[in-house]
Amino acid sequence: MTTVADPAWTAAQDPARTAAEAIRYCYEQGWTDGLPVVPATQEDLEAFLATTDRDPDEVIGAQEHLNRRVTVRQAAVNAIMAGCEPEYFPVVLAAWDALNGEPSTNGGAWQSTSGPAPLLVVNGPVRQRLGINHAGGVFGPGFRANATIGRAIGLLVRNGYGIKPQELEQATQGVPGRWQMVIGEHEELSPWEPLSVVGGLERGVDAVSATLIRACEYVDNRHTESAEAVLQDFADSLSRIGAYLGFRHSSGGLVLGPEHAKTLADAGYSRADVQQWLFEHATHTEAELAAAGKGGGAPVTDGVVAMMPSAAEIPVIVAGAANAAISMVFRPFGWASWSGRSVPVQYAAASRPSPVQEVTP
Amino acid sequence: MFDTIIDPTVGAPGDAERGRTALATRPADLAGLRLGLLVNTKRNAADFLEEVSGLLADRYGVITTLTRTKPSIVHPAPPEMLDELRGESDVVVVGVGDCGSCSASAVADGLQLEAAGIPAAVICSDAFRVSADAMASLQGTPGYEYVTTAHPVASLSRDGVRERAEQALPEIVSMLTRHAVAVAS
Repeated sequence: MTTVADPAWTAAQDPARTAAEAIRYCYEQGWTDGLPVVPATQEDLEAFLATTDRDPDEVIGAQEHLNRRVTVRQAAVNAIMAGCEPEYFPVVLAAWDALNGEPSTNGGAWQSTSGPAPLLVVNGPVRQRLGINHAGGVFGPGFRANATIGRAIGLLVRNGYGIKPQELEQATQGVPGRWQMVIGEHEELSPWEPLSVVGGLERGVDAVSATLIRACEYVDNRHTESAEAVLQDFADSLSRIGAYLGFRHSSGGLVLGPEHAKTLADAGYSRADVQQWLFEHATHTEAELAAAGKGGGAPVTDGVVAMMPSAAEIPVIVAGAANAAISMVFRPFGWASWSGRSVPVQYAAASRPSPVQEVTP
Repeated sequence: MFDTIIDPTVGAPGDAERGRTALATRPADLAGLRLGLLVNTKRNAADFLEEVSGLLADRYGVITTLTRTKPSIVHPAPPEMLDELRGESDVVVVGVGDCGSCSASAVADGLQLEAAGIPAAVICSDAFRVSADAMASLQGTPGYEYVTTAHPVASLSRDGVRERAEQALPEIVSMLTRHAVAVAS
């Protein structure tokens, strides 16, 4: 006799129950990052693949030492599972390519004890088209495109490369929000050119820039009108000894809130000026490093160690709401903080966005 | 019931499972044999292998003929390095797998040496057993045995390294000489 408690019966009768069972099935296969995934079907896959002209069998990433290569098709499957809409897929592919173009991802990063997280920065009108948040609460959560594009990358690493925590992935503690940091740059409130222009592309081109990071830490400074005072506050956080491994140099970048960006620009600072100032002031004395057990590993000039690799290697991005003078320092993983190259988003000829777009000048 | 859900782990063709690596034939004893050392650049790895080399020379009459440092901590030794090791050594010691990716990569080195006919002993720190084992499985050889030393290795003094090498020595010798110990399938 069939009863309501019989799972076969209820699943057949109730679509919601079927969906829940399908999600459970995906958990049982070990395919999820701990959160529910959207089960991928052939119909969805075709819709995703239709957004790009790339061959579904194109290999877009490899971990040769693990004998694993991932394809466009596999990226689409994992993007579906992450909760993406089909029109996000070109951005997922650009984000993946941007990451693969970074030297820091090619040295065992996905397996590293430091457990680094992609920081993916989106420029261009695609932000408005897909609702990629670049304003208040930019680091999330609450915005589907931001949340799911980052998650798609994480699922592709897990399912495509087979790199899972406590197995081939050996993160000691990991990074909060490891697969969630997709942010739009707030080009409309930034006083400077878009990051993608620094990254070599034309203004108005949809683009993704990527780096791997180990942490974000806030700088809250709402009590001064002095650009140099604000810069000094950033330099203090950037030079933090804990983020320094004891040799060569540390790394750092800034996601400036629009208010801090305005304070600096109003005082006449270009982005390059900001980078130069921070490079010169993010320092420690050799004695301070030695007191923390990290002496003797970096070039010293007059007893002082520059904690940043170079001015150009301090990425400066503008994002967030213009409602408080708060910014974020982030910590690139590895020795090259950002390649300085942004990757354009490529669309299928049939689905290329119209040139008439809601671009804010 | 859910056969229509697409498996997200299926990648490019050619990623099919690899066959099991058969271990190289072991020598009956080590006296007079040529030893190759494959260093993975991890802190204290070179010192560790140097201590092992000294102990094997003193107690087993092994002559170290070649020391090579891998160009990448993540990737297995490149083919030309493998050729050198094959040409100039009878047995090889690999180490020290002491991080997320390099422990796995040390196991891959061990397996490619075995496949090339050279008995190898791979040393990993015990904190990274899981990733080393996962690599052995990925390479089609689950159960591949290697020598473990207590984590951490990077913070040890030279005396500490020497002590660890001493402790690991019996296992290294046994792994290089005993037949069929290294695989339990």
